[in-house]
Amino acid sequence: MRTPLLIAAVLVLLAGVPPFLDLGLQNALVNVLIASLFALAFNLLVGQAGLLSFGHAAYFGVGAFATLHLMRVVEDGFGFPTPLLPLAGAACGLVVGAIAGFFATMRSGVYFALVTLAIAELFHALAPRWQGLFGGEAGLSSMRMPWQGVTFGSTLEVYYLALAWVVVSICLLWAYTRTPFGRLTLALRDNEQRVRFLGYDAHATKVIVFAISAMFSGIAGSLQAMSNEVANYSLFSSHVSAQVVLHAFVGGSTVFFGPLLGAAVFTLFAYLISDLTRSWLLYQGLIFVLVMLYAPTGIGGVVQYHARHWQRLDWSRLAGPYALGSLGGVLVAAAAVFLTETLSVLFDEPYAVARRDAGGAFPPFAAFGTGWDPLSPLTWLLPLALFGVGLYVLTRARRAIGEEWEAIRSAPTAAAAAAAAASRAGS
Amino acid sequence: MEFIIISTLNGVIYGLLLFMVSAGLTLIFGMMGILNFAHASFYMLGAYVGYTLAALVDFWVGLIVAPLLVGAVGILVERYMLRRVHAFGHAHELLLTFGLALIFEELIKLFFGDFPVNYRMPDELQFAAFTVFGTDYPFYRLFIGAVAVIMFVALFVLLARTRIGIVVRAAERLPRMAESLGHNIPLVFMGVFGVGAALAGLAGAVAGAYFPTNPNMALELGVIVFVVVVVGGLGSLKGSLVASLMIGLFSSFSIGLDWSLASLLGLVGLGDWAESVGGLFTMTLSSVSGTIPFLLMLVILLVRPAGLMGDRN
Amino acid sequence: MRRLTALLLASTAVAMAAPAQAEPLRIGIIESLSGSQTSTGRLYSAAVQYGVDIINAAGGFNGEPIEVIEYDNAGGSTGAADEFRQAVADGIHIVFQGASSAVAGQITEDVRRHNIRNPGDEVMYINLGAEAMSLTGDQCHFYHFRYATTAPMRVNALVNAMAAAGELGTRVFSINQNYSWGQDMQTAIEDAAAAGGYEVVEAVLHDVNSIQDFAPYVARINAADPDTVITGNWSNDLLLLMRAASEAGLDVRFGTTFLDQPGNIANAGDTAIGHYLANNYVPDAGPAEFNDAYRDAVGHYPIFVEPPTIFAVGALAEALEQVDFGGGDIDVSAIALALEAVVYESPVGPITVRAEDHQTIRPVVVSHVVRGAAYPVDDTDLGFEVVGVVSGEDAIYPVQDSCEMERPD
Repeated sequence: MRTPLLIAAVLVLLAGVPPFLDLGLQNALVNVLIASLFALAFNLLVGQAGLLSFGHAAYFGVGAFATLHLMRVVEDGFGFPTPLLPLAGAACGLVVGAIAGFFATMRSGVYFALVTLAIAELFHALAPRWQGLFGGEAGLSSMRMPWQGVTFGSTLEVYYLALAWVVVSICLLWAYTRTPFGRLTLALRDNEQRVRFLGYDAHATKVIVFAISAMFSGIAGSLQAMSNEVANYSLFSSHVSAQVVLHAFVGGSTVFFGPLLGAAVFTLFAYLISDLTRSWLLYQGLIFVLVMLYAPTGIGGVVQYHARHWQRLDWSRLAGPYALGSLGGVLVAAAAVFLTETLSVLFDEPYAVARRDAGGAFPPFAAFGTGWDPLSPLTWLLPLALFGVGLYVLTRARRAIGEEWEAIRSAPTAAAAAAAAASRAGS
Repeated sequence: MEFIIISTLNGVIYGLLLFMVSAGLTLIFGMMGILNFAHASFYMLGAYVGYTLAALVDFWVGLIVAPLLVGAVGILVERYMLRRVHAFGHAHELLLTFGLALIFEELIKLFFGDFPVNYRMPDELQFAAFTVFGTDYPFYRLFIGAVAVIMFVALFVLLARTRIGIVVRAAERLPRMAESLGHNIPLVFMGVFGVGAALAGLAGAVAGAYFPTNPNMALELGVIVFVVVVVGGLGSLKGSLVASLMIGLFSSFSIGLDWSLASLLGLVGLGDWAESVGGLFTMTLSSVSGTIPFLLMLVILLVRPAGLMGDRN
Repeated sequence: MRRLTALLLASTAVAMAAPAQAEPLRIGIIESLSGSQTSTGRLYSAAVQYGVDIINAAGGFNGEPIEVIEYDNAGGSTGAADEFRQAVADGIHIVFQGASSAVAGQITEDVRRHNIRNPGDEVMYINLGAEAMSLTGDQCHFYHFRYATTAPMRVNALVNAMAAAGELGTRVFSINQNYSWGQDMQTAIEDAAAAGGYEVVEAVLHDVNSIQDFAPYVARINAADPDTVITGNWSNDLLLLMRAASEAGLDVRFGTTFLDQPGNIANAGDTAIGHYLANNYVPDAGPAEFNDAYRDAVGHYPIFVEPPTIFAVGALAEALEQVDFGGGDIDVSAIALALEAVVYESPVGPITVRAEDHQTIRPVVVSHVVRGAAYPVDDTDLGFEVVGVVSGEDAIYPVQDSCEMERPD
């Protein structure tokens, strides 16, 4: 089996590499861990039970606030071990999740999404007004206290704490999907009527799944609160709910590790290029829509698809079209990035000032480390050509890949072929 | 008295604006079952198209072109995107429109910046319609209301009295049957989506000149529009009119009312206790008025998911 | 690019030994540079850069030019927490930030915690415009300096100048946003009533930047029949309020604090004429050299949050002249102590730091909008004309009891 080896390798990397990274990257990795756990917890609901929540920020935020309240008590001398602080988030997430879930799961489909949305918006609207519980608009703030000689002052210590909690949580989530009850939730997604006829209480089952999902979201929120040592009402914002949806679906909600992949890639990427471009959110939206259109199962789904047919993949035939497809994708992406960055320069205020100084003319502008003339056809032909060629290459590659896969799907498996040969030999 | 009359007027006008935006949304949901997260983005697009054309050409040109252009965008979205993911189910369609909303917002920021743009009504519309209790009432507010009323009447007549309306309603009730009778159902869907988007675009072009036009307007209005559509009953035009007016009136009146749970409990002698507890009890209605629509939506969804006037199905 | 490079360096495990040279002073600007509140962040950034360019042109500090690095907090306090940690990783000595009290609350706590955990390696935070009282109240600490006004300073100045001009009247309506800043404003307006000789006829708090239609509030103002409306609203909330008031034909004077935000005057148009503003500086208050120098460097006259930022960097420059590390390691505590003692002569008067809570004692400029102003704004013919400059001593208020500052030994 390759999978356990792979997981072990990833764990060794996660445990061994961070001490050698700079502080900023360490902190980015903490965020990757938190986002991964949050996405997995969210996906328990949508991937397993088929319930699309648009307000998971509520449980993330509840976890964060609960932990922060406990941290404040600890700061005042209450002897609670610092590494166990996320238990507060887990407990509150579970309770609030059970209550919210009880109501939300009375509805399904779009209506369920709307109920979760309304609950999160309620928290978001109420929190900045509720001084005592949520610290008003400024929020609550505290400090991680030392415990058993560990100061929990450095980012690295926070990282290992988060890593431990995330790994344990993921193991629990994984184990959950293996239990008979976890299987039941899957059945719920696929055919609720049938589950009901088999004598199970569908509503109770959904409430439990919802509560468990909220509990792990609460743990993710706790880790965020411990990392930032502050929590305010912005944790409940629709932006937080939106991000987790994005992560889960780009990563692939039908695969267990898919959301983790999406969260890790997006969070890390956002960190790495956020000082390069101001249009990161636009790219993120574009990636999401493209994935929805062309790879509805997400990155994880694509990977899983390949893994499932691994035995039958003939890479000598696939490599060519795949390379071609990547080239096309890179060309189209380059065109989109060029266009976006060019427009963001041209429509930005400094350029308007430059134009005014130039007496209304269109002065050249700087982008990608060189100067460009906005009136030169070359400036606009470049992205156009990139886009055209890229699109052409992409369609060609797509057709070739489609044909290859057709062949792979229709070919008998090696085992079946061997069995057929054996039966022929026997007769 | 003065406060009541002015607040009623304001509430009705704001409600009518909400209706303009939510009409398209509820039509689309009623027919296609798609909860269009990008609908408020169409409203925003309309406002920005109106702003651009008002600056380049003329306000009235913008008013005519904006719905056409936004409607065209809507048609493209339906034809080339939604139809593609239709097979994966409603959740997928919802996610797609959600992604589109993100893209529209960022595109607007890319071209127009993050600050509100100065989109104003033309001078010939900038006068007081009448004066009540020494307060001028701007004509443009009535103009917004009038556009909404005309829209409602036109939509109602179109759906209830014309042949097109019959086909559309048939496609909503029994799409298979309508299709076997020879009607082009995908075309009907595309048309409805386009019209819904165009209505939002018109609302944007009209209201954007009065209310702020900024990249957050879609987000700000979007959630409220959902509330309207849910409360009115997903798919019911009349319901969303009633719900729009309700929410408009409510947000207009709640501002003047300094009620809190504590003052309510004060009526039964528990006021002091509530004051001492604080928290939820002492928040005044005007300061938490933002939460009431969500509360209303929650209650409706849980008690009567079909909304005030929607069909139970 | 910085971050990608850092990653590449880490992945190839190339640890470059830093060559022995003087440590440059590093300044980090943690502002919203993407997302919905970008424009103010960029103004802060432009003004800090302007001030630092002047220091660097005069030879920099500690034998090296001062480095300025921008960090994008994406508009939220969570982003700010991440960016602060990144700034610490980059070896930042001084953090500048101004937009949003929520972000400021996060940063000041982060700085406090960092300094507790890393004695001898402190970071200093210069607050350019977050005006929540708690920042110099229960959140105050030695390494936070507020180079901006606060609600009572603005209100006191506004009320004094408007009363002196005979435009205040006796009935004041207070309308503010329902969060720390707006609540501070409301308290300040109520506290100044006795001294200003007015009565607060009504005080309203409303949701922040989410109200589309202010007509109901105007109806309420109209019913209360005030002479003056004082508001701390900013951005949309100010614009819509004034627009709704003018459309209703409401005959009141507005006393504001953020009317000079770019775009406001263009948006409000003639309805802005006659309304008052209390802030740190308007170009009309200062000498032409100061305004022109800035315009020549940046492209426009100093507006909105830029002047207080220039003053803050100017004060820092004077503090840096008082310390000398001889090209060695930079001691932020020494800079902070020096900054405490600086008397910065701004174009409108001296700015000093109050040692007890690190609030600056600074002049407040009160102006009103006129047509044909000396310094028109937003490509209109409107601009701000100075009505009066209230000195720091007259505008300041007592230290808040909640501030308990621990000083370094």
